[in-house]
Amino acid sequence: MTIDQFVQTMLGGLAIGCIYSLIALGISMIIRATDILHFAQGEMLMVGSMVGLSAYWMRDLPFPIVLLFGIIGGGLISTVVELVVYRTLRMQRVALINIMIATIGVSIVLQNVARLVWGSEPLGYPSLFDSKGIVVAGFAVSPQLLWIVILSALIMGTLILFFRYTRLGIAMQAAAQDPDVARLMGINVDRTTTYTFAVAGMMAGAAGVLLGSLFFASFNMGFITGIKAFVAATLGGLGSVAGAMIGGLIFGLIETFSGMLISTAYKDAVGMVVLILILLLMPNGLLTRAGREV
Amino acid sequence: MTHSNIARIVVLVLLIAAPLVQPNAYWVHVFSLALIGVILAFSQQLLVGMAGIVSLGQGAFYGIGAYTAASLSIAYKLPFLLAILIGGLLAGASSLLLVPIVRLKGSSLAVATLGFAIIVHLVMMNEDWLTGGSIGLMDIPHPTLFGLPVGGETAFYYVCLAVAALVFLTFDRIAHSRFGRALTAMSQDEEAARASGVAISLYKSKCFLIAAIASGIAGGLYAYHSQYLNPNDFSFQKSIDILMMVIIGGIGSLPGAALGAAIVVLVPEVLRSSGEFRLILFGVMVIVLAGTGNRGLAGVITDLVKYAIARWWHKPAPTTAAARVS
Repeated sequence: MTIDQFVQTMLGGLAIGCIYSLIALGISMIIRATDILHFAQGEMLMVGSMVGLSAYWMRDLPFPIVLLFGIIGGGLISTVVELVVYRTLRMQRVALINIMIATIGVSIVLQNVARLVWGSEPLGYPSLFDSKGIVVAGFAVSPQLLWIVILSALIMGTLILFFRYTRLGIAMQAAAQDPDVARLMGINVDRTTTYTFAVAGMMAGAAGVLLGSLFFASFNMGFITGIKAFVAATLGGLGSVAGAMIGGLIFGLIETFSGMLISTAYKDAVGMVVLILILLLMPNGLLTRAGREV
Repeated sequence: MTHSNIARIVVLVLLIAAPLVQPNAYWVHVFSLALIGVILAFSQQLLVGMAGIVSLGQGAFYGIGAYTAASLSIAYKLPFLLAILIGGLLAGASSLLLVPIVRLKGSSLAVATLGFAIIVHLVMMNEDWLTGGSIGLMDIPHPTLFGLPVGGETAFYYVCLAVAALVFLTFDRIAHSRFGRALTAMSQDEEAARASGVAISLYKSKCFLIAAIASGIAGGLYAYHSQYLNPNDFSFQKSIDILMMVIIGGIGSLPGAALGAAIVVLVPEVLRSSGEFRLILFGVMVIVLAGTGNRGLAGVITDLVKYAIARWWHKPAPTTAAARVS
């Protein structure tokens, strides 16, 4: 492997890792706030991807606007599902594992509704970036991958600022840490939970547009990506926001490098072996839940 | 005779009668599939219901059993029962690979078993010499029982029914044994169980072993049932389906698991007439059933039956008196 190939692979791994991070972030936030393992997170990505693509079809919109549409689409569907399904189930004090199964039900419904609306064929994303390689510090790199890394970093940076400096962000963290005390402090925990789902959906929607621009959009793109992001979140430490980011990046890098060096067929297996090894050494993942603040 | 025994005999009679009432070969084929699902749900119930372990890897053992039985039957013309038995044992042996991870807890353990399932699926997908790769295994011979061919869907249905009944009786015995009580203790409070002398890791491993053998046997039946194996029949989605059966049916109850399996297998078939909407309806049903409470559909039905009996036999129902007092 030449140094040039190494840089290319590294960038590819970082780009796919950033996408995993964005989804894993949502999964982690939801676990922290509600203890729900959200299997439908991948479908939020799919909806975001589809909405972004539809927006592009209607008007020849520039990429940032397409991304914005994806974010809004993911956020809206996530909010609706939370309000209609999960909140109802929580009100009935249904056991967590039942809610987890309900999230699988949500995933089945969303996938098949999407199949009705957008068809079952994979839909090609337009080339939203210059496909010509650009030279950065002496290395030819794909601008598409570079943009994915930059945009993901921007989105995650915004999220960190939101959690640290806005009243709502701080309230959401407080509610996740200790709902009872947060309630005593006058925080409407039901509302912050809904906002958590909204933000998680927005992250996934953004990831959907980014992933779509890299490959294509299809009704079943979400589930396997969601599962991988879930593994990434576990790798980093379920419930830890920083852990989700790091877990996603590590998982993306492992996947890409093992695809390059070991075998493309077994690239997912390598990720799983690493996951199991890390869980054996650190049962709570790389960053434990104790470090709750961002 | 106790109530539960009467209920069991009624269910058994109904199951024996099912292919006579609906002799259509397609439906009997689907019924057999449902019984295979029931065995899988039992195996998951042992893990979730008794030991409190959420496994997302049962589909892997199912696949290992199926591929083993199919390969033995194709390559060595092994008899049906022996092939599925070896399939079950090999699936059990492969569960020993999980021994290092049983000391994980909760969602970490679930994700680790999911990782195992994904790895097994990739092996099925890519090792062409062993599993036929993505093309799959074809031309699995028809089953024979003691030299006699098991002809037709109905005969095979009764084989599946016999195996499912056997697994039910075994697991029912396990639930009421010392081992089963230890598992229940473990699921309620791991530390307290450990303090009372339950060797947690050993018991969890045993639990995985028994569940894997049952799943492997179900896989062997599936191999003979469909006579064609494809790796995608055993993806991690299958593992999730198996977990779904138990949660919908009701955690902790074997009849509940059977009911959940029947729903997960049969409902998409029943809804086939609604075409494109069938999976949407199924998804909505999963959400609604998941919301029926912690005892699942079995709990709801038990409550309804108790209520109905109370209504019929003791008028006025005793519950109303209690309600008046409160």
